[in-house]
Amino acid sequence: MTTQEKNLLLAVFEDIDPAAHAVDSLRALGVADAQVTVISGTPITEAMMGRKPQWSNVARFALGGAAAGMGLGIFLAFGTPSLYPVYVGGQPLIPVPPTIVVLFETTMLVMLISTFLGVFLDSRFPNFTPMEYVPEISDGRIALLIECAPELEKKVEAAMQTQGAESIRRAQAEVV
Amino acid sequence: MTVSAKALAQVHPEAHEHDHEAELRKEHLMLDPKPRGEMNALVMEAMLTTSWKFWAVAGLMALVTVVGLFGMWGYSISEGMYTASVNRPMYWSYFLVHTVFWIGISHAGTFVSALLRVFRAEFRRPFTRAAELMTTFALAQAGIHIFAHMGRVWLAYWMFPIPTQRLIWPNLHSPLMWDFLAINTYLLSSTMYLFLPLIPDLAMARDRSTGWRKSVYRVLALGFRGTESEWTHLRIALNIFAFAILPVMFSVHTIVSWDFAAAMRPGWSSTIFGPYFVVGALQSGVSAVAMVVITVRATMKNMTYFVRPEHFDALGKLMLIISMAWAYFFFNDYMVQWYGGDSFTDSLLHFHEAGPGGWVWFLMLITNILVPWLVLWNKQWRRNPWILFTVGLLANVGMWAERFIIVPVSLQINRVPFMWGHGVKIFRETFPYVSVEIPIFIGSVAFFVLLYMLASKFIPLVPVWEVQEGQMAHSIRRYGKEPVITVAELE
Amino acid sequence: MAIPKIPEFKAEWKEGEEGRWGMAVDMDLCTGCQACVVACSMENNVPFVGEAEAGYGRSLGWIRVERLWEGQYPEVKMTPYQPVMCQQCGSAPCEPVCPVFATVHSQAEQLNVQVYNRCVGTRYCANNCPYVVRVFNWADFDRPDPLPNQFNPDVTVRRRGVMEKCTFCIQRIHRAEDQAKAEGREVLDGEAQPACAQACPADAIVFGRLDDPESRVSKLSRSNRGSHLLEELGTQPRVTYLKGGSNDRLG
Repeated sequence: MTTQEKNLLLAVFEDIDPAAHAVDSLRALGVADAQVTVISGTPITEAMMGRKPQWSNVARFALGGAAAGMGLGIFLAFGTPSLYPVYVGGQPLIPVPPTIVVLFETTMLVMLISTFLGVFLDSRFPNFTPMEYVPEISDGRIALLIECAPELEKKVEAAMQTQGAESIRRAQAEVV
Repeated sequence: MTVSAKALAQVHPEAHEHDHEAELRKEHLMLDPKPRGEMNALVMEAMLTTSWKFWAVAGLMALVTVVGLFGMWGYSISEGMYTASVNRPMYWSYFLVHTVFWIGISHAGTFVSALLRVFRAEFRRPFTRAAELMTTFALAQAGIHIFAHMGRVWLAYWMFPIPTQRLIWPNLHSPLMWDFLAINTYLLSSTMYLFLPLIPDLAMARDRSTGWRKSVYRVLALGFRGTESEWTHLRIALNIFAFAILPVMFSVHTIVSWDFAAAMRPGWSSTIFGPYFVVGALQSGVSAVAMVVITVRATMKNMTYFVRPEHFDALGKLMLIISMAWAYFFFNDYMVQWYGGDSFTDSLLHFHEAGPGGWVWFLMLITNILVPWLVLWNKQWRRNPWILFTVGLLANVGMWAERFIIVPVSLQINRVPFMWGHGVKIFRETFPYVSVEIPIFIGSVAFFVLLYMLASKFIPLVPVWEVQEGQMAHSIRRYGKEPVITVAELE
Repeated sequence: MAIPKIPEFKAEWKEGEEGRWGMAVDMDLCTGCQACVVACSMENNVPFVGEAEAGYGRSLGWIRVERLWEGQYPEVKMTPYQPVMCQQCGSAPCEPVCPVFATVHSQAEQLNVQVYNRCVGTRYCANNCPYVVRVFNWADFDRPDPLPNQFNPDVTVRRRGVMEKCTFCIQRIHRAEDQAKAEGREVLDGEAQPACAQACPADAIVFGRLDDPESRVSKLSRSNRGSHLLEELGTQPRVTYLKGGSNDRLG
């Protein structure tokens, strides 16, 4: 393992309350919020940990996708009849009601695809590189991944101990 | 007049309280939490346990799929549509009945999962994935039937809006093209909607499996750890999906109904077909969810913990309400068609009820209205898996009958009485002695069951993290002496 | 009272606009001899489906001679013979429903044409045809010898899974148009004849240009004996059926 620039500690807690208190004590020790990552097996909201809400672009991806889908629909409904005009059944070349159906379906399709891909992009999926993780997390544990200066390490470890951490270890990137 | 002053018989108050709370916990999965590790173990065990019976059934299903579905489909492709029961003027027949049937079944997955998510109906949690799986696999069967129905299926890609050397684009005036777009949108989005909440469970499976499974789950879990940001993105995406997939779902079956309603035919040209079909789809779909959930509970290990009579109860209530809605729309459609007085429509309605298929029409009314209304009002009956399964099965038979009445039976009557006719008989003297639609349908049922069986052994069928999330949100609170269920909004 | 102007939302065709080619069928003259059915099958390479399939009602004739019984026995009345082929609707219900543009409205001939090569066999057009005149190739039907010897080289042979229907013998229309163009003139009335009209011994089927007010078919179409099939659907059929009265009054 190459030496890491970052000094990472992984403290595993059994329950939400001690983890939330641990977040507070880290703050008291001067560890910035951005240097702490909460990892959990169930969705723990930021509010439960007393942390700031996470930034997410997923909704923006969805909006962009909706616009792109609308564009695709416009191309299908207005573009393709102009590329190869065919007249059917006494209807105009570009009929209004069917156009609405096409616009709706393509808008929804591309919107949902980009929402899906948005999760991938925002979460950096797929990620098969080694990660700091312990399998107990998916058993419902809550882990704090703490990036701290080497001189703070001892203090942080002690603080985590006081808050009732199940285990504290030097985080190692592993293939999970 | 004598007044007798007597104390009312009373149970010991404390014993009563105690009973009540224990009952609540026994009744509701959400109030009966287990540690996450234990639940994971239950789900993993259910996924990994197979018996010889499982493989025997799977093998049989695979055989039926290969022979019935792919064999007979291949035969009909190489020979032509004369192998089916279609005829002039009944140009659409069982293939389209089965297409609508499977699309209908596919609707409940989204309904249960997305609508109940939007409305925070907590009973959905343990079986959302079971329902979503059904959506995806049922849509695959619907697609097979659409393709099987085409005269020249090897040219099906001409319906795709892609630039080709032919330079011609598909006809967006056609309800079939809307259908193509809608089913395509629905298939893709329901598959993504199945996959997104599966990621944390795949990570869970990755963490506690070895060998080839480990490598596969590692790839499928995409490196999910459960960081705050990952959960946030997932939560936002699931919310978008739950809200957006509902109009897509409604549009799919509405457009399927437009295949009929947009056509210039007596009996088809009805403005209420859209909602009527959507409710019909829910009728067959929710019944199918009930059947699947009952089967999963009965055949898979540890499922009695996750699926309880409360879920049968809730699904039974849904089935009853949807059956009432279906009856309303059916009557609405019938009333207006009957009142219109168009002579061809009159002939058609008479043909529905008194023609050779009249018994199917009455069967439809009995299984779709009479049976659910007589059975499902009773709490004890709808909590009984055998009864609920039977009602669900009958509702699906009834919905099959409804589509049968709408497609082949209605096509026998048109505006040119000289050309009234019927389909080609099902049983023949020559090979394969039966119209290919029958083995293809049986094969597609087997294919559905096979896919479902294999999937149930490959992915965690219970969304453990959603169940745990629900259990975190639930608590019992006391108002005076009454223990009441309280649900917190965690999101 | 002023009539409110109704915006034309759907249709681009104008009320009363007639297509170029049309047909008039005199039901008083028709004897029901089926010569038109035979001639049509010969001309257009219509396959013979064999006894078994024909017994099911799967024969592929593009034209049929309809006749119905009316009333209860013994007061039975027969309706007149009525040959029915594709009505070449101006606003054809079969056209918009095809997902792959296999049936379209030809701008030149104002006919409803079926493009066999594009057809994928969804059979939606046939369901939406109120006249039930479209037929489907249920299989690649055998043509025993010597039938292959009488193929018409001007007409495509269709394979299984393809929809087909009466074309007003468009190959004959084109031949007449080409001839007229080569000779630098307009197509003469009666120069283009579909096989059914040519074969009709009673001269009950008259074919010609509807945009020429002096042509025979135009005059017959204007006759007060004339009517269209299922006119109330607004499909603008190009075939006029004549019935009742004497022939003398007609041009």
